[in-house]
Amino acid sequence: MATTLAPPPRHVSPPPTARRRMRRALRRRPGKLTYLMLTAIAFFSFFPLYWSVVVASQDNSALGKIPPPVLLGGNLWFNLKRAFTMVPFEKALINSFLVAGAITVSVVLFSTLAGFAFAKLRFRGRNVLLLSIVATMMVPTTLGIIPLYMLMAKIEWTGTIYAVIVPAMVNGFGVFFMTQYLSEAVPTELLEAGRVDGCSTIRLFWHVVLPAARPAAAVLGMLTFLTAWNDFFWPLVVLTPEDPTVQVVLSTLSAGRITDYSLALTGALIAILPLLVVFVALGKQIIGGIMQGAVKG
Amino acid sequence: MRRFTAVVPIMAVALAVAACGNGDGDDQAADDGPVSLTIATFGEFGYKELYEEYQKLHPNVKITERITKTEDHHKNLAAHLATNTGAADIEALEEGWIGQFTANASKFVDLNELGAGDIKSQWPEWKWNVATSKDGKTIGLGTDVGGMAMCYRVDLFKKAGLPTDRAEVSKLWPTWDQYIETGKKFEAAKVPGAHFFDGPTVMYRSILGQAPIGLYDGDNVVVDSNPEVKKAFDLSALAVTSGLSARAEAWTPAWNAGFAKGTFATLGCPSWMMAYIQTQAKDASGKWDIADVPGGGGNWGGSWLTVPKQSKHQKQAYELAKWLTAPEQQAKVFQKYGNFPSTVTLYEDAVIKDFVNPYFNNAPVGQIFSKSVSTMKPQYLGPKAGDINTQIINGLTRIEQGKQNPDQSWQQVLTDVKALL
Amino acid sequence: MTQLATEERVGPRRGLLHRLDVKGSPYLYIAPFFILFLGFGVFPLIFTAWVSLHEWSLLSEEHTWIGFGNYTKLFDDPAFWNALWNTVSIWVISTVPQLVLALVLAHILNQRLRGQTFWRMSALIPNITSVAAVAIIFSQLFGRDYGLFNWVLGLFGIDKIDWTANTWSSHVAVATMIIWRWTGYNALIYLAAMQAVPKELYDSASLDGATSFQQLRKITVPAIRPTIIFTVIISSIGGMQVLAEPLLFGGNGLTGGSDRQFQTLALYLYEVAFGRFDFGYASASSWVMFLIIVIVAAINFGIISRLRRS
Repeated sequence: MATTLAPPPRHVSPPPTARRRMRRALRRRPGKLTYLMLTAIAFFSFFPLYWSVVVASQDNSALGKIPPPVLLGGNLWFNLKRAFTMVPFEKALINSFLVAGAITVSVVLFSTLAGFAFAKLRFRGRNVLLLSIVATMMVPTTLGIIPLYMLMAKIEWTGTIYAVIVPAMVNGFGVFFMTQYLSEAVPTELLEAGRVDGCSTIRLFWHVVLPAARPAAAVLGMLTFLTAWNDFFWPLVVLTPEDPTVQVVLSTLSAGRITDYSLALTGALIAILPLLVVFVALGKQIIGGIMQGAVKG
Repeated sequence: MRRFTAVVPIMAVALAVAACGNGDGDDQAADDGPVSLTIATFGEFGYKELYEEYQKLHPNVKITERITKTEDHHKNLAAHLATNTGAADIEALEEGWIGQFTANASKFVDLNELGAGDIKSQWPEWKWNVATSKDGKTIGLGTDVGGMAMCYRVDLFKKAGLPTDRAEVSKLWPTWDQYIETGKKFEAAKVPGAHFFDGPTVMYRSILGQAPIGLYDGDNVVVDSNPEVKKAFDLSALAVTSGLSARAEAWTPAWNAGFAKGTFATLGCPSWMMAYIQTQAKDASGKWDIADVPGGGGNWGGSWLTVPKQSKHQKQAYELAKWLTAPEQQAKVFQKYGNFPSTVTLYEDAVIKDFVNPYFNNAPVGQIFSKSVSTMKPQYLGPKAGDINTQIINGLTRIEQGKQNPDQSWQQVLTDVKALL
Repeated sequence: MTQLATEERVGPRRGLLHRLDVKGSPYLYIAPFFILFLGFGVFPLIFTAWVSLHEWSLLSEEHTWIGFGNYTKLFDDPAFWNALWNTVSIWVISTVPQLVLALVLAHILNQRLRGQTFWRMSALIPNITSVAAVAIIFSQLFGRDYGLFNWVLGLFGIDKIDWTANTWSSHVAVATMIIWRWTGYNALIYLAAMQAVPKELYDSASLDGATSFQQLRKITVPAIRPTIIFTVIISSIGGMQVLAEPLLFGGNGLTGGSDRQFQTLALYLYEVAFGRFDFGYASASSWVMFLIIVIVAAINFGIISRLRRS
């Protein structure tokens, strides 16, 4: 598949430093209109989240009002205490961190390695192998939980977080994403030059590919962490509420015949705070320009 | 095809291994040795204090409870039964799901073999029957029930010139036909912003529940031939086409808001609905009251405790389930959490008989609900009752949405139901 | 063309170790994926294929071999085909706006903004908001009697729409939810790709007086084309497997409306497998669905390749 992709854009000779400096001054400066648009987008993105804080700070009757309440109530602390006493949230948060962290590190690393191979190295069966990786994403996963559970029971992993981590340690999404990204982001000439100098493949990976992959790795890391953190279908089946992830305890919090939304959404809030921390940390890594330096240097 | 034959050995290994989880009596712990029991529920059982009490009575038993959301719980249980591993020692089942599980009773311990037959008389016949398979295996002991009554808005009835006292209101609708007639009178009074009932779902279920034979006659699905099913459908459809419905679908924001706003004047009410109305319409105390349901008996909701065959402690699990569902314990749960007991002996007890709800103008709800539970006829639900009901209720919704007339809708219901079988 | 063609340049003198590195290392790098897939992915696939040839209830001990019975039943099942058309319809009206909006959003985010991290992170907020809250909010927005959208339409003298009742309106509503939840997700993917585009290209374009939109069209889009292909393929696959949004929009009902008007393939599969516990039939649906996704993805890939050539 990747052979049919366009070659990466080649920019003609980099401008001299002086001119570059002058041009930087000319670079697009976002105007007021931009910020206005971003604020509007942010409003629509944040509103449901803000509204869950509203519900979490009220009692369950808040939902019965039309129009629904939009201001905070005084019940947040009470609901937080209830959530923490009803379920083992601390344990769930630790487990979720272990699970999502391990999956993220592994997915980013393996995807970058495989993406490098698919985008920049030549080997027999490359196209077919890449296609088959893309094809694995097309398999509907809903039914997989039954046979996977049988498998986990056989190796006695049910009830342990290994059962959640190991099958998710690499996926087609990550490999395909990195393949596509690296095919445009890493200049082949640079690798060839490295090869001629006698660099081994792994050194090329380490010194050229990995730095260039940083923005994509950060985004892939965020998306992977997010997906792993939010996954509930499989963890609910294979884990027990005694040793849960966050999504498993959230199911417990909304367990009544009639859902107590103030409690359920309080739980949901606790569950996303760690995500925000991870996002901010990884979000700072989305910086370009490293390769430009390398190419020119 | 070749591929599949090659696969057979792998499959056999996996299946055999999965079957290893099957506790088949031999490896049961000795009766009085220390034993750890897990019980999986979906969070409305109110057993927390009871576990402690039981552990005090039986120092060798340690109880762990797993609570998940109702849908998640039943889906997990199906997965764990299919793979013969991972289920808890006691698994709760809800009314809406139990039919499918009873139809495959071989995955569960037949509690009759452990002596459950001796306590059968605790429950109304229908409650016992729902958990009993056609070949007589009883897989579950009843916990709570919903019962059925009719909640109504006193203020709206007054505006419409209808009686407001609950005894008189009950007299308005001994039958569902009269309920509809009352509805027409209500609509004729044109109370602003209000309709007679919320929507047809509960009405349909209640009417069908009052018939001796429902969707199944023995093994056969008789939706197309049983006049009782058609009657339930037609009456509900008539109520809709007569303009009685507020078209507020259950559990939507519009429905939730309707309790306080008064967009509907009546609502089929199981006992657990009381708590819901109280939270949704906190400041409307005294505006809602409770009368008898038309046609007499009825039930919506309630659960059972079962023991999966894969449990390694079947006997101890049964003992615990038996203790938890005994009248004394059900009374405790009722007093603390309000789950309406399923054991008929309690209905003569002061706990139930004298129970009134101040929010509903001190309605004697203990008596109202126990009457509906004990007069309910035993009806065989059948394995696919839940899915079939979904199709029929979808049909009623189509009428309500103006997509089809009752005849078209019923024809499609018949096709849809046939596709399920 | 973009691959390293080292063998020709590096003579045989380089030695065995080097040749081994060049020839063997690619396989080493892609090995983790295939090892894990063999370990945990293959068995479920084969197992469901096996199950699909049986009458197989999740709850029953007996599984009757019926050959391709489930497949023939599927081809006569109007609910299945209905779900397929719904899926395609929702996919079309959600994917195109979603990707275009994502591209524009990424372009905006790719500037030197004040509070950059905040703006970027807000793109992912819809994706981490509790689905319970999302479901409630959207049913408020699309409510028939008190919904915000109907209120706005009312200002223009347009009659109230019963959003869940009609096919087209429910598709629009579900697509709106999808666009809301996934645009930011795709925007971040584009944003990552844009980091590899040399900034100098934009500088010279600015000097030549190109507008921001022209820069997006003439510089960014060609430069990140592989990633655009990636998102199109991914959203073809993801869009064909849409489950959460129609489930939420229908208030957790598995039939996707009173007339299955917004039941997607994945939701139908879910209904069969975990509503009716009919594992055999669900497995057959799952395999047919897989084939359909392969076809859809291939068509999309074909369209993109053609567009690029023209």
